[in-house]
Amino acid sequence: MLRISNLHASVDGKRILRGIDLDVEAGTVHAVMGPNGSGKSTLAAVLAGRDGYSVDAGSVTFRGQDLLDMDPEIRAREGLFLAFQYPVEIPGVSMMYFLREAVNSIRRYRGLTELAAGDFIRLARQKIKPLGIDPGMLKRAVNEGFSGGEKKRCEVFQMSVLEPCLGILDETDSGLDIDALKVVSEGVNGLRGPDRAFVVITHYQRLLRYIVPDYVHVLANGRIAQSGDRTLALDLERHGYRWIEERSTALAAAGA
Amino acid sequence: MAAVMQHASAYLERFSSLQAGRDSEPNWLRERRELAMERFLRMGVPTPRDEEYKYTDLRALSDGRFLLSPDEPGGHARPAHLAGQRIAAACGDSLAVAGPAPPGIRVMSLSEALVRGEPRLEDRLASIASIERHALCALNTALFEDGVVIVAEAGADSREPLHLEFGPGRVARLARVLIIAERSSRVTVVETYSGLGEYWRNAVTEIHVSENARVDHVRAQLESPQAFHTGVVQAGQERDSRMSSFSLSFGARVARNDIGTRLDGTGCDCSLDGLYAVRGHQLVDHHTGIDHAMPHCHSHQLYKGVLDGNARGVFNGKIFVRRDAQKTDAVQSNKNLLLSDSAEVNTKPQLEIDANDVRCTHGATIGQLDADAAFYLRSRGIGEAEARKLLTYAFATDALARVGVASLRERFEGLLLDRFAPEAA
Repeated sequence: MLRISNLHASVDGKRILRGIDLDVEAGTVHAVMGPNGSGKSTLAAVLAGRDGYSVDAGSVTFRGQDLLDMDPEIRAREGLFLAFQYPVEIPGVSMMYFLREAVNSIRRYRGLTELAAGDFIRLARQKIKPLGIDPGMLKRAVNEGFSGGEKKRCEVFQMSVLEPCLGILDETDSGLDIDALKVVSEGVNGLRGPDRAFVVITHYQRLLRYIVPDYVHVLANGRIAQSGDRTLALDLERHGYRWIEERSTALAAAGA
Repeated sequence: MAAVMQHASAYLERFSSLQAGRDSEPNWLRERRELAMERFLRMGVPTPRDEEYKYTDLRALSDGRFLLSPDEPGGHARPAHLAGQRIAAACGDSLAVAGPAPPGIRVMSLSEALVRGEPRLEDRLASIASIERHALCALNTALFEDGVVIVAEAGADSREPLHLEFGPGRVARLARVLIIAERSSRVTVVETYSGLGEYWRNAVTEIHVSENARVDHVRAQLESPQAFHTGVVQAGQERDSRMSSFSLSFGARVARNDIGTRLDGTGCDCSLDGLYAVRGHQLVDHHTGIDHAMPHCHSHQLYKGVLDGNARGVFNGKIFVRRDAQKTDAVQSNKNLLLSDSAEVNTKPQLEIDANDVRCTHGATIGQLDADAAFYLRSRGIGEAEARKLLTYAFATDALARVGVASLRERFEGLLLDRFAPEAA
């Protein structure tokens, strides 16, 4: 579904990603972990098409197409969804209007008929319930005045309405208390299926107790320093990131 | 008459021919017109040398050609109707008042009001807006041929907007409106300005709000993109009265609006709000003035502007707080959204405070579309043009919320969205 090959990217001339290789098959969940500054959020931003990041080398294909060539809205319409680490507040635009516009933009792109207001409200109410969000939130401005936990829950709500084939969660667990973490994880788990894949970017192993990954990758110095199954995450919990960072620095020095 | 300005002859010629036919006008009005003409000829059309017109160049208007010449052929489109009851329309060489007015409200043409001997006309007409300060107000006073008078009788309550439409033609070019709200009355008036081709409209509205009365005034300037629009709205408020003004300014090549109120009694409340949205080479200039003459009054101002292309915006908000006006509460805010790198705004609050127990706040911002917000929308599948439109609308929404009449607010929202629709962007 997603194939990242030798991806190099920089921000303001500073090299952040230094050759990422990652294959994500349909039906799998990949966790990407790593210390601060390792390039986790840059990877998410480059995949979603945020401005200000330059891709210096490498390629990314998404469902057989060149992802890097697409505008952000086309990536979304093709089925990619990024749950933001810091969801943006948009005063003056109601959640309801915003999300219906998003759903219908995607439906138009796919040659489907647009959802009428009533049908959309029914869909939104059905999806919002399991996430424990007050449906009154739909009438509020996008993310405006939401608590940190509400914003993250709302990201997962949006994902469940838009039903992407690839969900990228950028530190969706950061700052959540354990109850909110469970709700968010259940939301994600409910979306897992043979046709859908997830890349779960996280700083903390804790999340992976609730969203159990098929693969775990550790990012250090802009590269995947180690890949494994979920036991790797447990090792990291016990030993920290230091050993991986040291190894990656040594490898870089040796010119690997 | 001492005429010192250049290009005086065209104005004088029109004035003399009009005065000759004004035998039936009462002496007081003839005298006011004489005085106004004299004032105008002494001051002339303002130039950028005048501090008040520093950013707004009206020199193309000085010879009066765009004001006094007949309309371009084919320029007689119907004026825009937005909402509410169409009560008066000025178009071509005449002005029509269509009844019936709501209970307790009298609507008539100025000429009819003069013939009828409408009470208090002498007290109010050409006495609220200053011909001393505004040369263009003086010009309107000297040359207007007809206008609209609205009187809300004591205790009358009319919330459905009365719609005055000013289209093309010589009467409407010098639009004149007088609104008198008598004690404890309430009236809502909407003025629309629209036309085709190149012309200059110079409009004046005077509003008297008596004790405990309320006037809601909305002005929609939707002139042709080649037009010049200059307008004065001036109110005088007695104690415990309320006045709201909303100025929508989307049209014209150059638009200058002077909107002010004088709070002449205690316990008054006023809000002067507006939204301007311009593009191409348009210029829109709002000068507001609130004169807090008495204690315990509250004023609120929110002006928002959206500027694209090479458009320019000017906002100047004066607040005077006189020595007696203790416990004044005055809030002023002007916020601008620039959609292009070459759009420009000059914004300036001007506070003169002579009382010592007051609360006055002001703020001005000039910003661009929030790139993070635009990316967030696009990351959900919303196209770039649509995202821009949505964010522009979101920016303007709290200003539009100041329009109390729901049907009108919806029309304005539609006009704003059309203006920044993807095709136009």
